Parts: sequence; structure tokens; C-alpha cells
Amino acid sequence: MEASEEPEFDATLGGTEHLPYSANSLKFASSRSVEIAAMTESILRPSKTKLVFQTLPVHMRRRVMSHNSKRLPRKLRKAHLDQLKKSGLPPKQKRPSRKYRRRPANLLEEYNRRQKRNVWLETHIWHAKRFHMTERWGHRLPYAPCDKAFRACYRGSSAHCLLQDISYYTPIQIIGTEKLIKEMFAKVTSSVCGLGIGAMAYINGTRQGTIHIYGINSFPFGYIGKVQFIWAPCDRTNKSLWLFVHPSQANLIKSVLEEAVSAQDQDDYETTKKRRKLENGAESIQIKAMPGNFNRFRLTGPNSHAVLVQSLKCVNDGIKNAKWVSLHKPLDLEEKAQYWQTISTASSPAQLPANMVVGLVVKDPRLSRPQQRTKAKQDTNTEIDTDSLLRIPHFISNSPLWNVKIHESIKKESMTNGQFIQHVTKNQLVPGEVDEDDPALQCVPVVLVQRPGSQNPEYKKIGYGSGWDIILPSGYALPFWLTFIMFGARSGGLRETESLAFEMGECYLPPDSDAGKENERRIKLELRERYFRLPPSKRVNYIKIAINSPFVCPWNVLLSDWSENQVNKYFVLRNRTILNDIQECITKKRSLPNIENAISCLVPVYVKLVAKGSLQKHSLICLPEAGDFANLKTLFEPHHEDPNEKIRKLKRSEHIKLLKKIRKSKIKLKKKEKTAGAEKLRKITTIEPSEYTKSMRELWLPSKVESVRNVASRQVMGYVAQGAFSFTEACSCGIGYIAFHALKHLLNNGLNQVLVRNTTSRKYRLANIMIVKDT
Amino acid sequence: MADENTQQKKEESKKRPKRHPNKNYALKKRLPLKPVDGDNVIFITKKTNFKAQLDKCCDLLTRGEKEIILHGLGAAIQRCCNLALQLEILFSGTCQIEVNTGTVDCVDDLEPLTEELDFDSQVRCSSSIHIRIFRNAMLGANQ
Repeated sequence: MEASEEPEFDATLGGTEHLPYSANSLKFASSRSVEIAAMTESILRPSKTKLVFQTLPVHMRRRVMSHNSKRLPRKLRKAHLDQLKKSGLPPKQKRPSRKYRRRPANLLEEYNRRQKRNVWLETHIWHAKRFHMTERWGHRLPYAPCDKAFRACYRGSSAHCLLQDISYYTPIQIIGTEKLIKEMFAKVTSSVCGLGIGAMAYINGTRQGTIHIYGINSFPFGYIGKVQFIWAPCDRTNKSLWLFVHPSQANLIKSVLEEAVSAQDQDDYETTKKRRKLENGAESIQIKAMPGNFNRFRLTGPNSHAVLVQSLKCVNDGIKNAKWVSLHKPLDLEEKAQYWQTISTASSPAQLPANMVVGLVVKDPRLSRPQQRTKAKQDTNTEIDTDSLLRIPHFISNSPLWNVKIHESIKKESMTNGQFIQHVTKNQLVPGEVDEDDPALQCVPVVLVQRPGSQNPEYKKIGYGSGWDIILPSGYALPFWLTFIMFGARSGGLRETESLAFEMGECYLPPDSDAGKENERRIKLELRERYFRLPPSKRVNYIKIAINSPFVCPWNVLLSDWSENQVNKYFVLRNRTILNDIQECITKKRSLPNIENAISCLVPVYVKLVAKGSLQKHSLICLPEAGDFANLKTLFEPHHEDPNEKIRKLKRSEHIKLLKKIRKSKIKLKKKEKTAGAEKLRKITTIEPSEYTKSMRELWLPSKVESVRNVASRQVMGYVAQGAFSFTEACSCGIGYIAFHALKHLLNNGLNQVLVRNTTSRKYRLANIMIVKDT
Repeated sequence: MADENTQQKKEESKKRPKRHPNKNYALKKRLPLKPVDGDNVIFITKKTNFKAQLDKCCDLLTRGEKEIILHGLGAAIQRCCNLALQLEILFSGTCQIEVNTGTVDCVDDLEPLTEELDFDSQVRCSSSIHIRIFRNAMLGANQ
């Protein structure tokens, strides 16, 4: 570079360069044509219209990036500062705010205070920095990531790995003999819903099962929720069973089970009273809820297997270092490590046996962390052996994790992050290298549970939603979580749980359970509030488009309308054989068979639009009429009269007059007070809306819904509970419920398609229906 | 003649017994084992739009990929062949096709429908086709 900066002279001044006497303009231009083209191009379409930080992808942008260059990646900082110099540097950083300076000195104490109202997960602080948090079911839970990653999370679940913390699921331990437990569960479950708790397939503990729990002897009414269970493998007569219950149902399920036990004891007592009294006390069932004893992470997507393989390193020989080993000796370590090695080459968890439970003892996850965030890749060169996929070896499922006694020891002996870093910096010989067999860190027992995802190619693509659940002892959530993140898992929150259930075509919190009703109520309040916050000119006038309950689905009213009786209790159909029959009837356009309790029965359906159009929550599923299929394009709900419109206008003008009057009188009063020198009256703000607002709201949206079936021009059969654009189907889909009699009516007309209409629109659209079998 | 033949075939297919082994089990399919994945590997499916997959292949080839590999399994074999032939016409003279056939072992889960039975699994063989499409001359030397 220096050579070029030296001055050059032409020959007349004693230099070496000889200048030509004339210049050929054409040649001159043509030899620079490329540069000219580039210049005109850059003038016409300047590529750098953006600031430096705007070129970053959305997920890498930070809040005050333009002011604080430290928030940018280092390689962009210089360019950013140069750009800033041109437009004037930002003012110097202000003194930190008072709020910031007054932060509690002891954060931990403050955190403990805040945890009193809601339970926090162990990964709470990690999430609170990156997620919108909500209060749900007595927990403070991550709702959705701040980086607007809705589609990225879907892509994670379908092609990569989506990671969710579901430690809020409450584990319930049940100890008792197999026979007693089976008897107890016979009261709260029904065999028609699928395999029961004592089925051969689950009893040896190699697979996780799911059951539907109802109130005691109240099937099909009184549905409580879906529960996952694992039998802890052991040879003793007193077996232990672990239920993982959703926190919205945990208390209810525990009380129901306790009630079932006491009822059982009474029965036993009466029958055996005469014979033996001694046995009764010994043969009882213990039920213990243990919230916070385990952490449970959910990994979804084909890459979740690679993430687990990379981050979990099995301990395969005798473990000397861990204290918990003396309390419970882990078995079959070598065989387990070998099996994990053989299945490690699978390219997706969907290739492994369904719902398999794998108990492993692994090294501390901090030791196998990569330096930078990398995407875990599968070693695809060696093909997996088909034989190893066929059977689950019997030894694989036992785990010391199910022994409650060791939990305390594990938690006590675990190394905090600070201690770990101190230890590593002190002991490492080569900087940056970590000894994988460090004896100072104890090994950890974990349990992996496979989820098969979709296994029915007619319903959803095979393997969608497959993944692993990992159950960890408490105290180890963050080390494992960070390792998974470093191996390229994308984190999601509750929104992802909802959208995953929707994409899989499953019912999320069904409407016949208390949890579902609570959820509906919450959504209704939220939507109603939002509706009335809009100015009147921006509100949809639901009366004009004949929708009388836009924010909630009135199942009671719907069923009463279709049965001509008052229906108070209702249930969602979960009988496997009947659901299969109904599906067959729908595909073949046959009429439906009769079932018990048909008047209060809702049939879960998957609604899929035939052509374009969007589908939203609470949309109506309507009965098509004879000529509808021919003129679908022009099929609109006619305009309806709104009788309340005039009343509202009158009321409003009256109210304005009244307000004016009050204001005038106030001003008069003030003048008087000023002369008198009286005290100021403090303004009282009330949260409760005034009588006027309430009555106006009632006129906008009458709260009493008496009939829904014949309100619009097409009869309403049911409602869509969850609807959106589905990425797996590439069209708008929804999960809804149809009254059984309405479905019967539809099939009797020889039709198997329905009309759907959004709550904000007059347009009817055609949709296909399928029965949801996995409720 | 042709009509008669198809009719006969229809009848035959009706007679063929269904694959369900018995009434005690429900058949659940697992994901078949995949060959090596990569940027230039495309798995042809029946569900994905044919035109979309054709466009994807065209894009890859015009972008300068030396070879692309198409995999088809079971009922998607016909689509896979069609796609390869379409590509051959579109890139006439500049592409060549190499076809391999094979068999893939698919594992099915047999989920019991009664309490007394344990899970079972079966291996089902499915035919597969692997088509390698490679360029033997570049389209337009300056590209």
C-alpha cells in the first residue's frame, strides 16, 4: 500500500510514466464499462439504504441497539459507529434510572418473595429474560418468546427441535398392590376410551400410557382430564405408579383418587368385616402429590434425538463419585449404555418404539457442552439395525430416579454454576478443554420417554410431533436446559403447546372438563375486554351478522336446541369404537347409529376448509341446505336489523346531556368553593364500569343467549374451539365440536360436508370434517 | 380390452385381504428409515404438490448443483419416475438419469386393543426407487 502512495510524475517532470497525446473516448469508456455499469446500478438501486443494525435478522436485534453499540455483534460495531458519526453521536448514557439504582441488593431474597404468589419453574429467570410470562394454574409460565418466532417454532417442531419446559406437570405417586390400584382406577376410568391403567402393555413399565380420568362412577359425564402414567418397574408386590397430571387438574384428580380409595376401603371393610379385619390396614394405597420433585422437558421434532444423543453421555461402569449411589444402586448400566449407543443413529425419534421409557445415568451435562451454539447433527453413515427397533429390552426402563429417597442427596451434592466454573478454572490444564470424566461432578439419573407423534398417515404426516420427554431430578433443570439450547434446540412456551396440539389435531383442554371451562372463561373475558376497548365505529356489530355469542361457545344452549330438552350436563364422545363407526359413516355418507346419552353428546371433529379462507376461534359450523353447493361463491348471511341501534343512540345523547349538566354544576360548585376556600375533592376512580356502560354493553352484545340453532339463515350444528391456518395441512383448519343430533341430521340429508362461518364475517365457506380420535 | 383388464384388476384388489393382522391390534406406522439427507436430496411424497417439487428440482439444477437425488417410497414411486422424466425433458440433453431400485424395511407398531395383550411390532417391506440426476453439460457456458 505504501508504494502506491508515493508521488508519481510523468516523463516531463522526470518520472517514468509517459502520457499519451490523445485519448480515444470510445476505447476509454469501453474499457471501463464494467465499472460504469456497477456505478449506475448502485445509483439506481442503492443496496445500503439500511442502517447497520437493521441488516441483522429479527431474532438478533436488541432494544436500544442504535444507542448502545455493545448490543451489536462485534464485527458490526465499527461500521455502526462510522455510520453514527455521520448522523451525530447519540447523547451520552444517562445516569441509571432511580428504579434501576434502587434494585434490591439481595436479588435472591426478592425472588423468593415474588415466588410466594406463583410457583416458579427452575428455568424461570432464563425464561423471564426472553419470554412473555403469564400467570396460569398457580404458576408463572413462559407464554411466547419475545423474538416473534411463531413460524420458527413450528419449523423447529417439524424439522428441527423445539424445547419446552413442562415442569409444571404435577407428579403423583401411587403405591399399592397392582390389584388394588386397578380396582381404584376402574372407578374413575372407562375401558371404552382405550387401554386402561393395568393393561399388559404398560404394567412392566417399559412404556408410558395415557388414560382419561372421570369423576367416580360418573362416566361419560364429569370428565376431568388426560393423564400420563408410568409404572416404576420393580419386582415387589407393592408397586409404585407415577402419574403426570396437568396443573389445572392436579388437585381435582388427587381428591378424586383419594375419594375412590376411601370408598374402596369401605366396600372392602363391609365384605371382609366378618372374616378378617387385620389385612385392611396393611393393604391400603398411598397417594402423594410431589410438585417440584421432577423437572420435565419436552423436545419435539426429528432433531431432538440428535440433541439428546449429543448432550447425554452415559456412565457405563461403576460410579464411585456420587453419594446417591450408596442409597440406590443403579442396575444394568453397561447394557443401557450399549442400547443407547445402538439407537443413537436413528434419524428421528419417530423410528423408535412408541412411548418407550428409557432410564439412563448420565454425566453432568455441563461437561459435554459445545463452545458455541451448534446444531446437533446425526451421524448418518452407519445405518440403524431394524432388529433393535422391534423390541424394547426389559432392563432399559428401570431407573433410580423413581426412588424418592435419593432426590435430596442429588440436590444437595449438585454443583452450582459458580462452583462449576471455579472448579474448572482451577483444575484445567489446557485452557478451554474440559475433562469429560471429571470425578468431582456427580452423575445424574434421568428418564427419557418417547412420544411417537402422528402414526396415522391419513390424519397427519407420519412422525409429526414426535419427540422425547426428559424427566430430571430437581436442581438439574438449568444445566440440562442450557446444554440442549447450546446444541441447537429452539425454546418455546405455552403458545407453542397450544399450537402444537392444534397442528397435531388434538383437543387442548376439552370443553367438558373443568379446566376447559376455566380456559374458555378466561378467553371470553380477554376477548370481551378487547372488544369493548375499541371505539364503537371499529366494533363489529355482531347483531347485524347474526352472531349472538362471539367470544364463547354456548355448548349447553346448542345441545338444548338440538334435543328440544334442557341440557345442563354434556360430554365429549371418547368411545373408541363409536368414534370409528362415526368416521366410517361420514366417509360413506351413511346414517349414524344410535348411542346412549345422545342428547348431551358432543362429537369432536377436525374441520378443514376445501378452498381458501381463514378460520378462527368460535366460528360457527352450519348445516348446508340443498342448493348451497351450487352457489357457494355468493353464499352470504343476509344483513340483519339491529333493533338496539336507535336505543343506543338515544341513550348516548341523553348520557352526554347528563354529563354536561354535571360538569356545569361542578364548575358552579368550584366557584363557590373558591370563594369559601374549601378543600379539593379528590377524584375517585372506580374499576367497576358504570351502570351506563354496562347497559350500553348489554345493548351491543346481549349477554343472555337463549337459542343459537336458528338465529342465522343456516342452522348452527356446532362451534370451532380452536381454528387457524395450519402449516401441516397448508390450509385453514380447526378443531370443533358438533352436537350428535346435528351430525345425525347432516348425514340423514346425505351430506358429509359442512359450512363454516367466522364470527366477524357473513361469508359461508365449505369444509370437510373428520372425526378426532385422539381427544 | 383395456377396460376389461382394469375391471378385472379392480375385482382382484377387492378380493385381496386387508393388511390388518387381526382384530386385537391396531396398526400404527412408524417413520421409515431415511437414506443420507442433504441439500440436493429430495424425498418425493404423494401429498406435496407435484409442481412445487418439480420447481424445486429445476431450481437446484439451474443453480449449479452437479447432481440431485430423488427418493420415492411405495406409492410415491410413480410420481418420482414422472418427475425425473419431466426433468429429463426440461433439461434435454444436459441431464442424465441413473435409476436404482431397492427395498426398505418399514417397522409398524401393533397397538393392542385388549388389556391382556402386549405391544407388538412387524416389519413390512416396501419398494423404493432412488434416482440420481446429474448434469453432463452446463446450460449456457456463461452461467
